[in-house]
Amino acid sequence: MDWQLIWLFLQQGVASGLVTGSIYALLAVAIVIIFKTTDAPNFAAGELFMAAAYVALYLLVFLALPFIAVVPLSLGVAFIAAALFYRIVLQKIGSSAAVTVNVVIATLGLSFVLKGAVRKTGVGDVPRSFPSIFGNDTITIGQAVLTLQDIGILALAVVSMTIFFLFFNFTRTGRAMRAVGMNPKAAVLVGINLRRTRMLIWGLSGLLSSLAALLIAPKILMTADMGSVVILGFAAAIIGGFTSLPGAVLGGLIIGIAENLVGLFISSRAISVAPFVAIMLVLVLRPQGLLGGKVAVKKV
Amino acid sequence: MPISMPAKLSAAAAALIALIVLPQLTSGYVVYLANLMLVYIILAIGLNILIGETGQFGLAHVAFYGIGIYTTAILTSRYGVPFPVAVIAGMLLAGAIGFLLGAVSFRMRDIYLALSTFAFGEAMQWVFKSWDAVTNGPNGMRIPQASLFGFRITNDHDAYYVVLAVAIVTVLVTILLMQSRLGRAFRAVRESEPAALALGVNVRRTKVIAFTLSAVYAGLAGGIFASFSSFIHPDSLGFTTTILVLTMIVVGGLGSIAGAVMGALILGLIQELLRQAPSYQEIIYGVILILFMMYAPKGVIGALKARFSRSGSAAK
Repeated sequence: MDWQLIWLFLQQGVASGLVTGSIYALLAVAIVIIFKTTDAPNFAAGELFMAAAYVALYLLVFLALPFIAVVPLSLGVAFIAAALFYRIVLQKIGSSAAVTVNVVIATLGLSFVLKGAVRKTGVGDVPRSFPSIFGNDTITIGQAVLTLQDIGILALAVVSMTIFFLFFNFTRTGRAMRAVGMNPKAAVLVGINLRRTRMLIWGLSGLLSSLAALLIAPKILMTADMGSVVILGFAAAIIGGFTSLPGAVLGGLIIGIAENLVGLFISSRAISVAPFVAIMLVLVLRPQGLLGGKVAVKKV
Repeated sequence: MPISMPAKLSAAAAALIALIVLPQLTSGYVVYLANLMLVYIILAIGLNILIGETGQFGLAHVAFYGIGIYTTAILTSRYGVPFPVAVIAGMLLAGAIGFLLGAVSFRMRDIYLALSTFAFGEAMQWVFKSWDAVTNGPNGMRIPQASLFGFRITNDHDAYYVVLAVAIVTVLVTILLMQSRLGRAFRAVRESEPAALALGVNVRRTKVIAFTLSAVYAGLAGGIFASFSSFIHPDSLGFTTTILVLTMIVVGGLGSIAGAVMGALILGLIQELLRQAPSYQEIIYGVILILFMMYAPKGVIGALKARFSRSGSAAK
């Protein structure tokens, strides 16, 4: 392989990687905010993402609603569904560390239910494609070729992540969420409603998954199993340290770029195993992730 | 009201007799199902050692199960190795790889351990799918008929008593093991690593032993599966199956051998029954998991214990 080709591949890999990586970043943020406040990984994140994409598809294609109505409706549905799951199921189970495995299994239960429900509706039984609002025109940056749709995905993902960070850092509710993530007991002492905040976080996480789904859906073939992409969100979260939001975003971009480079330089077959190798390497070599800070040692 | 020892023994004897006469009374499918349940029981008991007893969230169980299946199938079909030797080889290989996985991940805990072992499981499934020369890749592999000391196992009926005997021996050995010093060390590590360390338990070694042992059980389950099954496809060796085994031990009751056995039976049967209603299978299964976590968080065993102690105190 000569240097010109390598240089071309590098540019294309980085450009395409940033686009898909921004989606993984959104998913990783959705996973991390729940882990920080509920102490359990949400294994239903992928199916929330998948179901949200189908809700949008249903509204857009089967009910023929305009795009401007579909976006808020499907975001709203995802928000409410995730919040209700927390309110009805997880609050009953509780959220102390002793029941983490029960919470995990409940989220797995949710993922089965969502997958089965989508298959049952008759919309999710055959692969479908999602209409795109951006054209298929291409833009060349350096030597990398991107479609307008790619640019749109990246731009919207960056904008929504920015809004999200502003919300987390500068609003009362966002700060309450951060406080719950840092120390739930202290948060209660300063007057934060723990249950309400956690419920909102679940809703927000559902909303982020839905956003990721709306952005990526036109680029991929939709099936009821498309939620498996969430493993890349988990990989991104791990690379970022699993509790750090900037880490999750950085991890998402790294995974996106790495995935594209592996596809270009090694083989498309290796793409599917690359994230798992990455997860293992990161956890063995640097268990706290890139931006995870020091490992806290629990005292007895 | 604790159950008395004679009552326990007679219940066990009744169950044993029922299990022994089962194949005489029923059709091939039921016997196949019984074989599969017994394999699930070995798998669940093995995972329970790691997660329930030692508190280490290893989610690569099915990878070791797959290693057991493939090793047994390949050794018997291509190299003419006798079936029992092949099963033992599968157990040893699974154990060796489990040892390595334990040795690199003993420092991790909770979610990090869960995710790294999950990643290992997925990578192993990829290996099963992609290593065409050895595993025949995504086409799956035929498993030859096993023969045991000259007897050919040609159908589920033939295999049943072998599978049953192995499962019973596994349960008994595990009960003894959990009452031994090692079993107590497992539980000490689960409850508190610093406290276990203070009591003189070598935490690191105990964790690695738990990983190895649990992998050996899964390898054994794989070898036994190969005795009555004629085909293995890598798609069935993914995370969904690990989750199935995990839910078995949680629904049964973590940290209890009886719980693992019950969970394996309950969820194994639910899975098979739901095959009759494929379109609702996932929804019903998911709802069952959620309801179990909401209303029986300590599993069947926990719920039964609560029942008995409540009725006991009411009698006073």
